[in-house]
Amino acid sequence: MPLKISRRGFLKGSALTAGALSLGTLGALDFRTWAKTNAAAPVRRVPTICNGCGNRCGLFAYVKNGRIWRIEGNPEANGNRGVLCPKGHGYLHDLYNPNRIRSPLKRVDGKFQPISWEQAYQEIAQKINLILMENGPESVFWVNYPQPNHAYALRFMHSLGSPHYFTHGSTCYTARNAAWNHTVGKLPSNDLANSRYILVIGRNPAGGVDLGQVKDIVRARENGAKLIVVDPRHSETAILADEWLPIKPGTDLALLLAMINVMVAERLYDARFVKENTVGFEQLEDEIINYPPQWAEKVCDIPAATIVRITREICRAKPHALIHRGYHGAIGAQYLNSFQTARALAIANALLGNINRKGGIYFAQSAGLGELQPTHPIPAGPAGPKADGTGIPGRYPLGSYGDGISHAIPELALRGILKCGFVYHHNPLRTNPNPKRVIAGYKKLDLLVVIDPVLSETASIAHYVLPASFYLETDEAVDTKHSGKRAQVSIQQKAIEPLFDSRSGFQIICDLAKHLGSARFFNFTLDEANELRLKPLGASLKELRAKGVLAVGPSWKEGIGKLETPSGKVEIASATLEGLGYPAIPRWQEPLVSPDPKDLHAFRLIHGKQAMHTHAMTANQPYLMAISRRYDLIRLWINRSRAEKLSLKDGDMVEIKSLVGEGKIRVKLTEGLHPSCVWLPSGYGVFSKHLTTAYDQGLSYNDFLPTLFDPTVGHAMSSEVIVQVRKV
Amino acid sequence: MARYGMVIDETKCVGCYACRVACQNQNNLAEDEAYNYLEEREFGQFPLFTRVFLPVQCQHCDNPPCVTVCPTGASHKRKDGIVLVTEKDCIGCKYCIAACPYHVRIIRKQGYVEKCRFCVEFVEEGGKPACMTTCMTGVRLFGDLDDPASEIAQYIARNRHRLRPYKGEMNTKPRIFYRKA
Ligand code: SF4
Ligand code: SF4
Repeated sequence: MPLKISRRGFLKGSALTAGALSLGTLGALDFRTWAKTNAAAPVRRVPTICNGCGNRCGLFAYVKNGRIWRIEGNPEANGNRGVLCPKGHGYLHDLYNPNRIRSPLKRVDGKFQPISWEQAYQEIAQKINLILMENGPESVFWVNYPQPNHAYALRFMHSLGSPHYFTHGSTCYTARNAAWNHTVGKLPSNDLANSRYILVIGRNPAGGVDLGQVKDIVRARENGAKLIVVDPRHSETAILADEWLPIKPGTDLALLLAMINVMVAERLYDARFVKENTVGFEQLEDEIINYPPQWAEKVCDIPAATIVRITREICRAKPHALIHRGYHGAIGAQYLNSFQTARALAIANALLGNINRKGGIYFAQSAGLGELQPTHPIPAGPAGPKADGTGIPGRYPLGSYGDGISHAIPELALRGILKCGFVYHHNPLRTNPNPKRVIAGYKKLDLLVVIDPVLSETASIAHYVLPASFYLETDEAVDTKHSGKRAQVSIQQKAIEPLFDSRSGFQIICDLAKHLGSARFFNFTLDEANELRLKPLGASLKELRAKGVLAVGPSWKEGIGKLETPSGKVEIASATLEGLGYPAIPRWQEPLVSPDPKDLHAFRLIHGKQAMHTHAMTANQPYLMAISRRYDLIRLWINRSRAEKLSLKDGDMVEIKSLVGEGKIRVKLTEGLHPSCVWLPSGYGVFSKHLTTAYDQGLSYNDFLPTLFDPTVGHAMSSEVIVQVRKV
Repeated sequence: MARYGMVIDETKCVGCYACRVACQNQNNLAEDEAYNYLEEREFGQFPLFTRVFLPVQCQHCDNPPCVTVCPTGASHKRKDGIVLVTEKDCIGCKYCIAACPYHVRIIRKQGYVEKCRFCVEFVEEGGKPACMTTCMTGVRLFGDLDDPASEIAQYIARNRHRLRPYKGEMNTKPRIFYRKA
């Protein structure tokens, strides 16, 4: 659609316009003054990408009177195709949040003092130089929630000689990724739009929002596809489904093993695909006999007849049928058996013959961004492995070296292995399990530098806080997040001038590197770097700037070639896993802990996202928190009949207690939850007093989680916790 | 002259509230002012359970009680069917708020009453309401009911038997048609 501009109040004449224009930035900071006068002001449209969550949706920011007025989805961006979620619309107001940091801060005697950028950089550099001398480069780490500029953070760590670059992955997705890697060679995508039968297990794209996926599901449903949602909770995606199958949490593996059992026993699988493109099917036949649907019914609470029926149905629709590749729930970082569950999920898909097929699981096109060398040489890189043991036999051989195990950072700090850390666009004190332990670990550091627009929990205990610009204030590195059937590049661009003395993440990384003697690895500007990276794609920065996203490279083609696995085929049985001491074929594995069915107060604590909140980042946004309050969303879900046994009524206050934490919260009684668990929405429980809207509202599941590392990839097992629930 | 209307497919709403915030931004509303809301309803017993979100906003009634009770004529019905409030004529008596069976009118902090305006300025320039364009499941369809070529007119022709007014018994003759499961 061409640019359309609303002119509310247009009839009121031009006197108002003149007043509005002279308002300037000061007026723009005050919403009420601005709202009153902005009606007839001219509008500017800037294409950029959202930062309300990790999807980084393409959007157009509309600027009026020097203030962001509204945003609209960019129809070209594959990940959101013209639509936006509530977080996008709400989070833009954080630009004007009075809680924002206005300059670099230094903590002196427990209080923050504003200092200049130069002073901050110099003092940080001096302290790091000492730490480097005493403890070596491995004692320095960087952790971030992935951002387009994370490549530069990695470069920064490597320029110091440290292997310790981390993402939040171990609390999110590392089991899933490892399982897909060891089955088909890499993490695939879902061709939901063209599917005839969609089985979603432990994924909720309508709540943990993935707009493109929801659009595809809706389209597939309109074309007659069937949607089945397996989830202990009636999720937001379940609202769209033909059937909701409330599974007992922690037992998705049993369901998948039984489905595979039926596929094999009734010869429903794609025999030709299995013969030509997989290894280890015979081993699977031998093992899977152990898992008939009658067995699974007792374990997972889904009737055997239902398991048989949905298996027959999905096989009838194959290969245009799929089991969603999954994310955080069930297979990402939840249970002791998450890795095996993800393996079973990948194998079940392969038996449908749907790998890289239309309407099945497919490998998205990837945009190979260019390198910066030879003009800008790459640092040699670290000498040793990561101290968290990722990739090391006997430790976490399947763990992701690239992500690291970031919730091990507090442990490594307590052991004196890590001494100095940079935390960027991430808040481990709130988003890692067992906050008391996390606080102890991060406080043990000799130097903690946090890069954030606000004083998050983690920033609150930092030695230095560097104010990152808000995403609408600054350009950033080019990104490839929106790649799908065609690869796409996208860019974050400045829509308005920074309100305070803040800097972009890219700029801060380069500045830090320069102050630490690594200038030769950062001898480029952002535009130069972006141009070099776009070069092999034949895309120009100018065009990308004008459009916000650009499709590049060839379109996806159906068909399975040689896979990036050791055998080049789908590894139903994996010799690699066997060699490392893990089962070659997925086997049933009990969850680590389970509630005692005789104990009326014992529940498994599970969690999930509501569409209006991202991690702990958006709870401080008044527009989003107003929704939580108005609709009473900050409550613990509990199955009605279980609640009644505890004499609980809707809205009653309960106390939840685990081995490591306790807290009080009101309950929501529902028929839409498996009786063995309680469900806590994530994103609340902010305890930084500097976040005035979010402070002390609700609880976080992390308060109750012990520090755990699963033995395959070292993930957090964040649903392996039993809580006691009592009326107060 | 166009005759505007909307279809809301209540089988598709996943309760994300994007339409609430998109509308707030569009109309420069404060965080606790909203022109639309969701009613959540639950059906059945575990494990046979489902729930529905019903998005509600001004129904742009053809027989609008808010207009009837307004003492100053601030609340009025346009020829194209859109019900509007003229800000300067509103004395803030709140009669219309009490009269509206849909509870969609709010008194703004500035002292006058407002409600969903079908994004009239956007619409006059060929755009669509913000609540419609942001929705990931495509719950809303907006357009000219009198234009047989419009998507909404064709949709209504195809789905007439599934469409109902909300609170039809109030005889308000809404311009929003709800699609039921
Ligand atoms: S944007 Fe769509 S799905 Fe979200 S609440 Fe509004 S109508 Fe429902
Ligand atoms: S919904 Fe309420 S405010 Fe809107 S026209 Fe009908 S009576 Fe008036």
